[in-house]
Amino acid sequence: MASKWYSIAKAEYQVSTSSMRKSRTRNMILLLAFGLVWAIFLAPFMIGTITGLILPFEFLQILLVTILPGFMRAVMFFLWMMILIIPLSRALQEIKIGQWEILLSNDVRTRDILIGSFLGKLPIYGLLVLYLAPPFFALFFLAFEVTLIGQILIYLTLFIAVLSTIWLSNLITVAIQAKLGESPRGKDIANGVGILLAIVSIIPMYGIMFFSLQFSAILGLNVFLIFPFTWPADVISWITILFSQIGLTSNHILIFQQTLQFDINISTTLLSLFAAVCIIIGLASADRIFTYNIGARTEQITTIKGENVILRGIRKVASGSFGTLLVTCLKDFFRKASNLSRIAYGIILAIVLPFIMTQMILIVGRDSGGVDMMMVVMISGISMALIGSFAFSGTAFMESKDQLWIIQSTPSGTTRYVKARLIAGFLIALPLCIIPALAITIIITGTLATLGFLLIYGYIIICGAIMFSTGVTALNPYYEDTKSPEHQMNVMVTTMGVEFTILAPIMISLFGDILGLPFWDIIRSIAGSAGMPFAFAIIGMVALLIVGGGALLIGTRRLAQPEV
Amino acid sequence: MYNGVSIETQKLNKQFGPVHAVRNLTLQVREGSRFGFLGPNGAGKTTTVRILSGLMKPSSGTATVCGLPLASKRNEIKAITGLLPETPGLYSKLSAVEFLEFIGALNGRNGKALNGRIDRLLAILGLESRQDDLLESYSSGMKQKVLIASTILHEPKLVFLDEPTARLDPSASAIVKELIGILAESTGTTFFICTHQTSFAEDVCDQIGIINEGQLVALGPVEELIETSKAKDLENAYLQIVGGKVDREALLAWR
Repeated sequence: MASKWYSIAKAEYQVSTSSMRKSRTRNMILLLAFGLVWAIFLAPFMIGTITGLILPFEFLQILLVTILPGFMRAVMFFLWMMILIIPLSRALQEIKIGQWEILLSNDVRTRDILIGSFLGKLPIYGLLVLYLAPPFFALFFLAFEVTLIGQILIYLTLFIAVLSTIWLSNLITVAIQAKLGESPRGKDIANGVGILLAIVSIIPMYGIMFFSLQFSAILGLNVFLIFPFTWPADVISWITILFSQIGLTSNHILIFQQTLQFDINISTTLLSLFAAVCIIIGLASADRIFTYNIGARTEQITTIKGENVILRGIRKVASGSFGTLLVTCLKDFFRKASNLSRIAYGIILAIVLPFIMTQMILIVGRDSGGVDMMMVVMISGISMALIGSFAFSGTAFMESKDQLWIIQSTPSGTTRYVKARLIAGFLIALPLCIIPALAITIIITGTLATLGFLLIYGYIIICGAIMFSTGVTALNPYYEDTKSPEHQMNVMVTTMGVEFTILAPIMISLFGDILGLPFWDIIRSIAGSAGMPFAFAIIGMVALLIVGGGALLIGTRRLAQPEV
Repeated sequence: MYNGVSIETQKLNKQFGPVHAVRNLTLQVREGSRFGFLGPNGAGKTTTVRILSGLMKPSSGTATVCGLPLASKRNEIKAITGLLPETPGLYSKLSAVEFLEFIGALNGRNGKALNGRIDRLLAILGLESRQDDLLESYSSGMKQKVLIASTILHEPKLVFLDEPTARLDPSASAIVKELIGILAESTGTTFFICTHQTSFAEDVCDQIGIINEGQLVALGPVEELIETSKAKDLENAYLQIVGGKVDREALLAWR
């Protein structure tokens, strides 16, 4: 009889490879075989050829030898994010406790679930790494002329790092899922947590980028050394150095030693300990923390009290059935953890992006007077638009296609619903633009006039983005949940469409300049050099209102039409 | 006025690519009647309801609902009909009262009259003690009750119910049966009920249509169908018409 963990792993594997279910084994063997050929022959050959065309190899070699430790840490950091945070974030948006019920009712131990779901994920993530990692490593293999044994050891290290990270990701996911349980409330919390995880991954990334020196000074060591992704990166760097055939001298190795700080033995020990500790914690805690229990948190009954003063005020101003619709839309929006997470995500991005941009300008010293206003205006618009497009598209407009039937079955219901959602969005946008506008003004040490401009500009941009996102979602409301392809398509189209529309005037002017069309000069002659950033901001804003309004009109009409 | 006929269809068809969901459906449902629409899974019941309630365009054929042509008067039809969909699309973060207020507002109603009606309906359905709790904490049966309330809230002349009692306990089912009966008798409301539950249809409906693979294969009063099929009850008649005789020996063959 097959072990229970094996059956779970098989089911997980079948789910993850369902798109090629007709010839799964053949396709997987082909993918693996091609992956190996890609990793050993094709990637090094292609990378070598392409880079050779761009830069002379001798020059590139010096560059690569210099950047090896830092580059490897960056690669491992992004790999860590990819296989730890993304699966975690995605899994949280699809609670699978219903499957747990089936498994546990068949007398399966939670340890088997943990091991099975881990092993089931390995083939796909293994292939992902097999295809993505070689281009990065190939450059260094070429530059350092790493021996075949060295290359094998590097892939082995990568394999261990990937395994331990997937294990950790799986462990955290299963634990959170078990605690949240399957209920609408639990799903909403999980959704919110899933989005917040994205913020969690952004903040440390920028924190490391900009404040690593300060942290290092406080801690008395290179701050990167305390992050688990550094250890496999350093082991790989060491193997690259030690198995190099370019004749590195002991002086060269000493320089690497000073950069990497820990030698290969310490880094290998830390990596091994990390992997071992992850596995031990998982196995030891499996039957304790994963006891299936839909806790009080998810089954908690929330009873609604009276309406607050703002909602009562809205009812007074907008009396009649439309006022009721508006108030209902506001209640529904603010009670969802996922919506609040999206707003938090948007606001944090709207603050972080201008901050990074001003830091970069200061570092580069592009504008001796302070900051480049064109960049600030552009980045402010992009950031504000993110709030509008990210927080109001998809499920923030409609939970799923099931709600469609109810709304569509009422006379002119869809049009009235869209109007109510839109006005609710405009009201929500009022406080949303204040925080980023204030933060950006402080970051760029702007004046009251700057704050005033950013408030008005930000508000209109957010409203334009809300119109666009509502229109796009109304055009394609046929999604089941946030993981469905239709929903993801909506979010992608909304975000890209909004950002492109804001930036389009600048891009068109720049390309026009190259082609000899005088857009740039015309705008400069009207607004003057100092006024150009504001002119582009206003043109972008008007463009977004036109495009957003168009999308909204088309979306609303489409939603009101009967299904064909 | 519509001459005592709530629904009239002529050769109604609906195709989804190669799938022919509804084939040449010609049907008449009298005003004030309780029409039971029976059929196996995937027979075309829900598609028919979606077409008749104005949510979906037919591929061909014509229909009038409450005397209004389906092709040109969708909004007017929606104003005088109610729909209980098969899949409940409730707003999890609203309470029952708030959700019903929302549905009332979508139908252009609000104020004290609406609130009073909501309170009374929720009391009839036994939800008054939970009416201010968020719907996310409701059981599936309780959610179904809220949906039933939302369907009749604006006093429609014609109500489409898709599997109304699928998630209800026996006592709640009994209330729904009585509600349908009394609304049909006292107010002349017509009910078009899709169901798999033959006993429910036998108890509630005065006319039955059986659809199989998109085609209407039987139509008439309950007694007439039972009689012409020489069956002992509606379930038996249904099995004879649609097929699905139970082979007791085959039931153990899987072991």
